[in-house]
Amino acid sequence: MYIMDDNVIEVKGLKKKFGDFEAVSGVDFEVRKGEIFGFLGPNGAGKTTTINMLCTMTRPTEGDASICGHDIFREKGKVRESIGIIFQENTLDEKLTAHENLMLHCRFYSVPRDEREKRVSEVLRMVELDDKRNEVVENYSGGMKRRLEIARGLLHYPRVLFLDEPTVGLDPQTRTHIWDYILELKNREGITIFLTTHYMDEAEYSDRIAIMDHGKIIALDTPDNLKKKVGGDIIELVTEDNERARGEIVSKYGKEVKEKGTTLSFNVNNGSEFLASFIKDLDVEVRNINLHRPTLNDVFLSLTGREIRDEVSNGKKKPKFGPHH
Amino acid sequence: MEAIFAVWQRDLIKFFRDRARLLGSFAMPLMFLLIFGIGMDGALSSMLNVSGMDQLSNFNYVSFIYPGIIAMTVFSTSIFSALSVVNDKEEGYMKEILVSPVSRTNVAIGKILGSTTVAVIQGLLMLLFIPLIGVEVGIMNIAKLLPIMFLVAFTLSSIGMMVASTLKTSTGFQAVIQVIIFPMLFLSGAFFPLNGMPDWMNALVKINPMTYAVDLFKHAMLDVNSMNETLRQAMGLNLSVFGHQVRTWEEIAFIMALGALFVMLATLFFNRSE
Repeated sequence: MYIMDDNVIEVKGLKKKFGDFEAVSGVDFEVRKGEIFGFLGPNGAGKTTTINMLCTMTRPTEGDASICGHDIFREKGKVRESIGIIFQENTLDEKLTAHENLMLHCRFYSVPRDEREKRVSEVLRMVELDDKRNEVVENYSGGMKRRLEIARGLLHYPRVLFLDEPTVGLDPQTRTHIWDYILELKNREGITIFLTTHYMDEAEYSDRIAIMDHGKIIALDTPDNLKKKVGGDIIELVTEDNERARGEIVSKYGKEVKEKGTTLSFNVNNGSEFLASFIKDLDVEVRNINLHRPTLNDVFLSLTGREIRDEVSNGKKKPKFGPHH
Repeated sequence: MEAIFAVWQRDLIKFFRDRARLLGSFAMPLMFLLIFGIGMDGALSSMLNVSGMDQLSNFNYVSFIYPGIIAMTVFSTSIFSALSVVNDKEEGYMKEILVSPVSRTNVAIGKILGSTTVAVIQGLLMLLFIPLIGVEVGIMNIAKLLPIMFLVAFTLSSIGMMVASTLKTSTGFQAVIQVIIFPMLFLSGAFFPLNGMPDWMNALVKINPMTYAVDLFKHAMLDVNSMNETLRQAMGLNLSVFGHQVRTWEEIAFIMALGALFVMLATLFFNRSE
């Protein structure tokens, strides 16, 4: 039996090499029971490899990990029974109906025979697809498919739910809808959620966030603490002469200034008070200025040098800044 | 056990739901039957009449090729059905299966049995042509044919599964399978009697497992015992290897052994994939 413990996932020194390339170079972390654990990082950081190892799909080169006390390598079957996975891509059988997809899942996971219909109806009701149960999935909209996948992932009552980009490519309304289900589920069933996402607002739902880059975990804390670490508030401004403004900020206030296109930014404590005197004192004319509390995107940016959202639009990257960059 | 059944059933549901595939699967054999059957029948009987061999007056090319076409249907359906494995990879469903607690061996066996069943059904559907082409096939023939079909389909499905385990795209799979299936079909005696071939071709025919499968189909469906020796010889029904007349049980044993070998290899390959 699984010993009651606060940690649902325990990872120690997990490593994965593909030939000479070290995709994951020794990560350690714990996921606590009932929390939403955000797992962020730029593409190629090793997130997917880490998840694949936790889901028993990829064999680790070194290190240990356990889910609900079951070793991911030696007790694959037990691990697989205790996790549910919502993949980034569609993994439904579109030629089959929702009901058929769900019944197959029950059989793969040996859900007790006399409970199957009950559970299928229960999850279908939860994602409001009960009336579409006998429709072939091909005819579903993108949002309906996603909801059905979430429903399917819950059929065998997993203790941990892996959500890999659960709402990628969906419209904002559907995303909100899906998150309502996820949060309700978390509160009602106490399911632990392991989340990867490129949406900042989604990452905000996390109780704790790990940020991974170059195969390592470079930060792990609550969203609030991570933001605090960025160092105060962020001021962004555009001026008539950025070069001069930059020199002035550095010499007068000793701040490190970042330049992003035509925008300068730097961090200060007590931003609102600072701002009033700052504009008065600055010799360069300011075209526009804004002050904001650090977001997860700022955290991400300061830790990895990239923005979370840069990663979303693979392939069709717009040149965001002027050609001189 | 239940997982094997689930994987199997899924393939069957999809087979029956796909009307286009069901109808399309008739097209090819029907074409062969019409073109070869009718076209060659006339040509062959006029040649045989000229040569004036009375003993061959009973030679009916349609009844010769019919078992061959059923064999062809069973071969190609079973081996091509493994395409569903590649499709599952392409469409993502394979992930759902592979992260479940079902063992890969059971997935592979379920898939092989699915292809086998589909191929047997397709083979049986070919029997619908019986009244159309006027060959005599009795209920006893069909009873003999059924286990043979199953055995052959199982072996070919395992070969298909083995290939599918190593490939990631459906176009790749189709290319590889065609290279495997066409020589196997054309050098199996399905379309012409295996007589008077040059030695090198004869050697290829004799190492081709499908030769023995086709021979089994013919012996099951044709009334071989009532044929005179010359006719039997002309239809290529006296299959022999190194001067040894091949017996039915030997053919069955051979295909069973191959089936066992390939099902093991297919499972092994599938377990290793990814």
